Amino acid sequence: MQTCAQTDILDAVRKVIGDQRPEACYQCMKCTSGCPAAKVTDYRPHLMVILTKAGLAEEVMQSGIIWACSMCLKCKEYCPQDVAPFDVVTALKNVAISRGYKPPEMLVGMANSVLDYGYIMDKPMTITTTEFEEVSRESLGLPDIAHPKDMEKFKKLVSNFGYRRLS
Amino acid sequence: MYIFLGCTTPMKQYAYELSLRAVFPRLGIEIVDMPDSNCCGTPLMGVNRFYNVYAPARLMAIAEAGGLDIVAPCNGCHLALSEAAFMLREKKNLLEQVNALLKEEGLKYTGKVKVYHPVEVLYGLVGVEKISSAISYKLPPLKFACHPGCHLVRPSHIGRPEQRDGKLKLEALTEAIGLQTRDHPEKYECCGAAMIPYSTDAAIKTVAMRIKKFVEGGFDGVTTLCPYCFDMIDGKQDAAKTITGDRSLSIPTFYYTQLLGLAMGISERELGLNLNMSPVGSVLEKLRR
Amino acid sequence: MAEEPKVGVYICHCGVNIAGVVNVKEVVDYASTLPNVVIAKDYPFMCSDPGQNLIIEDIKTKGLNRVVVASCSPRMHEPTFRKALERAGLNPYLLEMANIREHCSWVHEKQPREATEKAKELVEAAVAKARMLKPIETVKMPAVKRALVIGGGVAGIRAALDIANSGFEVYLVEKRPSIGGNMARLDKTFPTLDCSQCILTPLMVEVAQHPNIKLLTYSEVISVEGSVGNFTVKILKKPRYVNEDLCTGCGICEQKCPYTVPSEFNLGLGKRKVIYFEFPQAVPLKPVLDRDNCVYFKKGTCRACERFCPAKAIDFNQQPKEITINVGAIILATGYALYDVKTKMPEYRYGLSKNVITGLELERLTSATGPTKGAILRPSDNKEPKNVAIILCVGSRDEKHLDYCCRFGCVAGIKHAYYIVSHIPDAKVTICYTDIRAFGKGYEDFYARIRSLDNVQFIRGRPMEIFEDTNGSLYFDVFDQNTNRLIRLNPDLVVLETGVVPDPSFEQIATVLKCSRGPDGFALELHPKLRPTETSVDGVFIAGVVQGPKDIPDTVAQAGAAAASAVSLLAKGEVESVPNVASVNQDLCSGCGVCEVVCPYTAIVLEARNGGRVAKVEAAKCKGCGACAAACPSGAMTQLGFEDKQIIPQIEVLARGR
Repeated sequence: MQTCAQTDILDAVRKVIGDQRPEACYQCMKCTSGCPAAKVTDYRPHLMVILTKAGLAEEVMQSGIIWACSMCLKCKEYCPQDVAPFDVVTALKNVAISRGYKPPEMLVGMANSVLDYGYIMDKPMTITTTEFEEVSRESLGLPDIAHPKDMEKFKKLVSNFGYRRLS
Repeated sequence: MYIFLGCTTPMKQYAYELSLRAVFPRLGIEIVDMPDSNCCGTPLMGVNRFYNVYAPARLMAIAEAGGLDIVAPCNGCHLALSEAAFMLREKKNLLEQVNALLKEEGLKYTGKVKVYHPVEVLYGLVGVEKISSAISYKLPPLKFACHPGCHLVRPSHIGRPEQRDGKLKLEALTEAIGLQTRDHPEKYECCGAAMIPYSTDAAIKTVAMRIKKFVEGGFDGVTTLCPYCFDMIDGKQDAAKTITGDRSLSIPTFYYTQLLGLAMGISERELGLNLNMSPVGSVLEKLRR
Repeated sequence: MAEEPKVGVYICHCGVNIAGVVNVKEVVDYASTLPNVVIAKDYPFMCSDPGQNLIIEDIKTKGLNRVVVASCSPRMHEPTFRKALERAGLNPYLLEMANIREHCSWVHEKQPREATEKAKELVEAAVAKARMLKPIETVKMPAVKRALVIGGGVAGIRAALDIANSGFEVYLVEKRPSIGGNMARLDKTFPTLDCSQCILTPLMVEVAQHPNIKLLTYSEVISVEGSVGNFTVKILKKPRYVNEDLCTGCGICEQKCPYTVPSEFNLGLGKRKVIYFEFPQAVPLKPVLDRDNCVYFKKGTCRACERFCPAKAIDFNQQPKEITINVGAIILATGYALYDVKTKMPEYRYGLSKNVITGLELERLTSATGPTKGAILRPSDNKEPKNVAIILCVGSRDEKHLDYCCRFGCVAGIKHAYYIVSHIPDAKVTICYTDIRAFGKGYEDFYARIRSLDNVQFIRGRPMEIFEDTNGSLYFDVFDQNTNRLIRLNPDLVVLETGVVPDPSFEQIATVLKCSRGPDGFALELHPKLRPTETSVDGVFIAGVVQGPKDIPDTVAQAGAAAASAVSLLAKGEVESVPNVASVNQDLCSGCGVCEVVCPYTAIVLEARNGGRVAKVEAAKCKGCGACAAACPSGAMTQLGFEDKQIIPQIEVLARGR
């Protein structure tokens, strides 16, 4: 049973850029009522907010449920107190990463790929069509993709604000 | 204008890129590839929120250096660029931080560059009337559902290309080429794409709900202008059937630019119509001249 | 000045409000050293009886002729201390106050040293002005012993009756064809479930028959001139196209009219004739011919009403009539309208789906005088709903819409649940609430009663939106915090308890009356706790929802309070002019006319003098705002109590050494 409320999480959440105002929430349930992720997972945006406000968000960072958000922004659009639950949860995700909690595996790959290639995938995919034809960007005659000209510089610049390789 | 393709379109959703490149020049919109480009950061907002401000600023600064505006075909990219522009306008210290980093690459963000989504280019810059006259034939009045996608509609306070009220621009465009549109419940709901990293199952169940409404509505097809939404609606129908057990979850799905290109007489190959995963064959037959 | 100023300085501790920060003794000592200060004292609560007596005693025994009180804001107790001076036989305007609380101790709590120095300066500046103060005599003017009530809802009705019963004449102006307002639309009132019309119509009839009340319905206030005690009001009486003196209210015209349009009284549900009575108990019971929809006015044909009227009362040539009246007090009671959920909250599909209705529309369905004669039927197919969802807080308590609580939505929603289950025994009701605010007398009991019904379920969650399925049925999801479950509801009727805003007519009236509005758009009261019916405009009072959302008991109570305020004004029969009136030195005046233009109260006129013109102040109309004095380019206009030779010494003290 959790006994101490951790206000450092709330402080850390406030430091992330965004419109989050967890303190304003009066738990009307509107966000969770409309949330697509809530319909198919145990994700509950109102709970993310109140736990953050109460200093009890450690458990949701630990369980990883915060990554279930579908980024539809309905909660931000309709929240009557401009809490912007989406911004609260996005901030929680940032805080979780800075505390060493791992995001879903796919995101680790995508995040590291940006550091190496500037994009979430290292190279264009080869697609198999419904007629079993194999197509690639090249075979379709599409031009080469432009990457950041100086990848080393790019990596260095983004590290300035804490964007580092995830393991 | 520059075309900022993002990640998903150039690496996976070739049909979108093909149909855009086919249609835009023929409507008088010259698109230029960006000389230097990077991921906009939307899928990684949870990993590093600041990247999602810096990266769009970098892209807009590159465009400004080249003297052109940007069209961003992906809803997520368009939102990243629009929201970054909004925040950099509102918060001076953020602007300073970002420009200090951009300076290292000889770039500067001033907010001059305009960012468009293809729906805005087609509806606003080209116009429904010009489109109606640019097509070689009107498509038969099949009933199509328009799926704008979350990021084209929200968050409304920064201004989005579509509004959650009245007719969609996408619907007006769809009607301009001869198709019929109709309202359907859950029109503004999410395709579930962003849930894939957390749980493919959850994401599929979500898009299955959308597809269900298309099927129940008796639509002949669905059209959208977002690579993520298309990837889900067009690409995950088999998975949806398997996971939900509902065999009715099947509907021909097209990029609007593919349909527009068809009406303009452009070849199906050039429009990437062989790349759609949903069963478009029977509808294509009806749509052909 | 003939006599030398003898100033008494009184420093208030205000408990610890001032003394907790400012070193009061030090300020007293400093004040004693100032020229012309005869006595300086401190006291814990200057506004108290003993505090005031200190002043009075010193005036009498030490011959003080100027008083400085350093305490809280003059907005709190300037009148108190002025009266003390008066009781001591001194002109009340020989008082100057220094605000060492709101302007000092309260804002410099963490800097007591600096606060004390500041208090000393504020006191010295006040003494500097006090030396230069001159006695001011106010003028008493007769007040017109008549009142005007704008708005004929329950607030206006109650206020009009109270004023009339006190023996004063009162005009009641209502823009709709009948009085009754929104309360006349209700079926029952909570918590007693009294029939609304049954308790309201006796009051409406009393208004119609009261010898002291002049009822002007289908009329609007177009202009208000003058000030407290003497307002000149122009009212436009719109034409009914019915001669009210001949009309017997028999209703044959309404019966014979062949055309119908949607009924405004029934909020668009159901229809009314083009010549119509608003509702069966309308007061006055005279019809109105809706010119905009009348076939005779549009095409010159029909005239059925005229043909069949036995009293020959139809008059197509009736013209709008302008009536001018003089009143001493005005009560504003224009009521409320529902928040425009149709445009502002399309996600709830009000206006898109027929079976999504507002609580007020449900009242019309349930009412026996409504479009369905009291049967609760779904607008789409006129069938009884079996599964009703009632959603509270639609648009209320929402930073993106109305940030305030509507105050009566919770209990209205509970009442509506009762309507459904009492009319349709096998129906089920789900109330989606955020908080249940059942604060009034009998409300908690009513809530308990409905809560214990098996076919009424309370869900603690606010739905985000409503969907209409392909087959026309409604559905939505709501997360119920009580059971910790995400629930999908499939109601066949949805009732929205929407937020309220001031009636649209308030916008124009507020401008005409110069009545201030609060940030929420409602009429602004002078003090939220102590002066709820007064406004910043003397003689204009407010009552009912125009001042803020409230239920019927609070509306009626406030109407009585407003009436009492109006009656006290009228009963006195006279009003006192403002002391700080503008005063013009006609020898210096160049007749430029700038003062006349800037005066918001039309209190300045230019009159001919020596071949030119000069300004003249009508002290009775002047409110002492000072705009003219500030605008005057030649220094001819001054304001009593704020003359240059009174203000400059203050500035010299405060600017010293800076």
